[in-house]
Amino acid sequence: MKRINFYYSTKLTFDDYVHNHSFALRIIPPETPSQINISCALNINPFVSTQQTIDAFGNNVTSGYLREDHRFLDFEIKGTADIDHTKYRTDYMPCYLYQSEYTQPDSILKNFYDGIKGNCTGSASERAAYLSNVLSDTISYEKGSTDTKTTAAQAFMLKKGVCQDFSHILISLLRMDGIAARYIAGLAFCDGETHSWVEYWTGDHWEGIDPANNCPISDDYLVISQGRDFRDCAIDRGVMFGKYTKQLQLVRSVLS
Amino acid sequence: MTQQQFTKAVGNANEINELLRRYGVKFGIYKNGVFNEQFFPFDPIPRVITHEDFQSIEKGLVQRVNALNEFLFDIYHDKKIVNDGVVPEDFIYISKGYLAQCEGITPKNNVYSHISGIDLVQAKDGEWYILEDNLRIPSGASYPLIARELTRIAAPQAFEENSVVDNRSYAKLLKETMEYANCGGIRAILTPGRYNAAYFEHSYLAEHTGSVLVQNDELFVEDNMLYHRTYSGGKTRIGVLYRRIADEYLDPLTFLPESLIGIPNLMEAYRSGNVGIINAPGNGVADDKGIYYFVPKMIKYYLEEEPILKNAPTYLPFYNNDMKYVTEHLDTLVIKDVAEAGGYGVVFGSDLTKEKLEEFRKTIIAEPRRFIAQEVIDFLDLPILDKGKTVMRKADLRAFILSGKETKVWASGLTRFSRNPDSFVVNSSQGGGFKDTWVLSR
Amino acid sequence: MGTISLEHSDRLYWLGRYTERFFTTIKALGRQFDKMLGTKQGYTDYLDCFGLADTYSSSMEFFRSFLFDNNNPNSAAYSLERAYDNGIVLREEISTDALSFLQMAKDTLDKAEKSDNIRLALLPLEDILYGFWGCINEHIFDDEIRNIIYIGKTAERVDLYVRMKYPYDLVKKEFTRLLKNLNRVPKNTPFRYNTRYLSDLVIAIGTEDEYKQSKAIAIESLKHLFEKPEVVA
Repeated sequence: MKRINFYYSTKLTFDDYVHNHSFALRIIPPETPSQINISCALNINPFVSTQQTIDAFGNNVTSGYLREDHRFLDFEIKGTADIDHTKYRTDYMPCYLYQSEYTQPDSILKNFYDGIKGNCTGSASERAAYLSNVLSDTISYEKGSTDTKTTAAQAFMLKKGVCQDFSHILISLLRMDGIAARYIAGLAFCDGETHSWVEYWTGDHWEGIDPANNCPISDDYLVISQGRDFRDCAIDRGVMFGKYTKQLQLVRSVLS
Repeated sequence: MTQQQFTKAVGNANEINELLRRYGVKFGIYKNGVFNEQFFPFDPIPRVITHEDFQSIEKGLVQRVNALNEFLFDIYHDKKIVNDGVVPEDFIYISKGYLAQCEGITPKNNVYSHISGIDLVQAKDGEWYILEDNLRIPSGASYPLIARELTRIAAPQAFEENSVVDNRSYAKLLKETMEYANCGGIRAILTPGRYNAAYFEHSYLAEHTGSVLVQNDELFVEDNMLYHRTYSGGKTRIGVLYRRIADEYLDPLTFLPESLIGIPNLMEAYRSGNVGIINAPGNGVADDKGIYYFVPKMIKYYLEEEPILKNAPTYLPFYNNDMKYVTEHLDTLVIKDVAEAGGYGVVFGSDLTKEKLEEFRKTIIAEPRRFIAQEVIDFLDLPILDKGKTVMRKADLRAFILSGKETKVWASGLTRFSRNPDSFVVNSSQGGGFKDTWVLSR
Repeated sequence: MGTISLEHSDRLYWLGRYTERFFTTIKALGRQFDKMLGTKQGYTDYLDCFGLADTYSSSMEFFRSFLFDNNNPNSAAYSLERAYDNGIVLREEISTDALSFLQMAKDTLDKAEKSDNIRLALLPLEDILYGFWGCINEHIFDDEIRNIIYIGKTAERVDLYVRMKYPYDLVKKEFTRLLKNLNRVPKNTPFRYNTRYLSDLVIAIGTEDEYKQSKAIAIESLKHLFEKPEVVA
């Protein structure tokens, strides 16, 4: 068990006024057997009335609507949590066994899996570790070549990507191998931005694996949101109106 | 009054078609990227369903829709039917209509399919068969509704003598159904706009149910409530939304982010029980062509009853025995692509050349879950008027079942026919026409 | 129902304007045709009212263009098409019956185009349009909704009458109608008048002398009548 402090902030700035701005944040860490929030404060600026719901995947959703003109939207979350990754999470959903939008393999990724599946044996954990190993030998970590819309198949073709791409490809491989897997967005020891990793189903609980670093997760990983792939987990989604042409997003996160 | 006399009394079809024109009975269609409004051709000879026939169809449809509603609740909650091995898991989660985002949501009064459009055909031996279920946004009820209004004027004697059940209660039935799903507020019908194929219907039903016809830019969600933005800067709460746009476009913050016709955070308002959505998002999992095969099993599973209405004999290449039968009898079967709708993706084996047949066989073997195969039913042809002469054409029947406090079958329906003598496809988007459907009260 | 969106209020206003523009155009063209019977009088005075150049080779070409040409933004056909466009999205507010009259008007105009005697073939339009306005009165329960259509209708009438140099007493009558309609508009709704432009309009149409000199001001004020007033800081 480890007590950690977390901080995460996003500043959205527009080059012209926007209005009728609806947003949905998945930013408040879910309470699970392996993660208990000791304290957690969410601040949104400009002030806006918000509502809390829990979505199908167990995420805390904070939704709001800013009708008036504004040029920025900032939100930050600060809190303390107790993390114990040895406590089991068992919130299984059968949809995690099936490919989703971002993880749908193309023939190249399928062929790649067919080429390695002979060596992919043993328990779910052994197979996940094997696939993650193969992945880190095949894909290089490189920023700037992919973005949030890149699918597993596209990133695999490029043979490079960031944590999101590693996660999507690993999920795709795990699902092809018959292991249910889900995408996790969260904060980890690496400062600056959000991190992403994968959980796979062992048959009776979830285990976390970090494919970008090719290591199992530890008490230094705070889950913020989870789902079939990135689309279910986006920390902030919004729709707004106005004549703006650009939006600038600054993200900062700290885990200590 | 005989059919000939009725036809004469209604006048030639042109007169009624002229009236339908006048009242704007149209559907929009895009051809080569250009929007055109077409009048939906009406054939004056009604399809007549006897009192006895209707009684058994009615029971069968109520049974079917009740089972489908139970199925939807089960799939988005405990999944008993999967865990008990009645429906293979694959068929649920591969279906495009299954929406994981809807897991755990319980619509008001557990009703998922408020308005079900079930397509049936009558075979030459008189037996009725279910062709498909439409539990998302089945359209077409407005056409027989307005056609009846006009034929009653044109041929009063026919209605004097034939004891035809008045079908004009549809609007009242729909209003009751909407009210049963209402979570507190006004009723609204959401349309993607006047360039939608069914725009006439959206606006006609809004008028006749006393609902507000809205587009997404008039709506917003604030504090998990759905509101209509009024022109004085105020807001009016909407308690139930009969949406005529597809699930994927409904809420850009939950489904397709690029949807421009949705309402951001609608799903949060819905999940919180503050607005009813007709029909419930996620219903597509139950009207999937692959799931169709399992509906008779659902009836037994949930209701412990024998199905009253039959499915067309269907084979799932997913099962080895069925695959064997399908590949051996491909030339006599009709094959449907489970992902397609509106008469697209339907192939008759008998239409294919030897080479094409062989090619298709390979496709089925490669993607067994993508297709279902059915025996071709020998449809009972219906008479239609073609340039003054009566000719026989293929026709189906879309029955409308409304689930409010009770499940009720509308004593009418949309009979669509193919204008092409060789075609089995009756969809309006494929050039078909429609007839009124008479249900006799004795 | 008691809830009107901004989009619908705009549609209602333009439905009123275009329906009226269609009707007044048909009537004015009929009078123009009549004026030209047995005289040497041409049609250019009609074009002058709208500041349009004469690009027509014959008076028949002029009439056909102003009646039937959908690509001529000053034609009756164009106005009717726009009226229909606005009406089609207002079915539940104005009723299927009212809408059916616009469809009938379209069909009648189409038939007239192919007829040997166009003016005779256009005659039913009068019945149809009065039928339309009858439906508007009959079916619309909400006064606010009906009033927006009537504001469009009377504003259009004043505008066209001024442009077409109608006699002062007719303009004055329509202007009085417009004022009555404007007085019914609740505050903070889009068709609440702009005080500045309304007072300009009152001056411009206030007396016969003023009317003769200030037509341009009247037309301009009408154009800005529903602009939101600038907020003085």
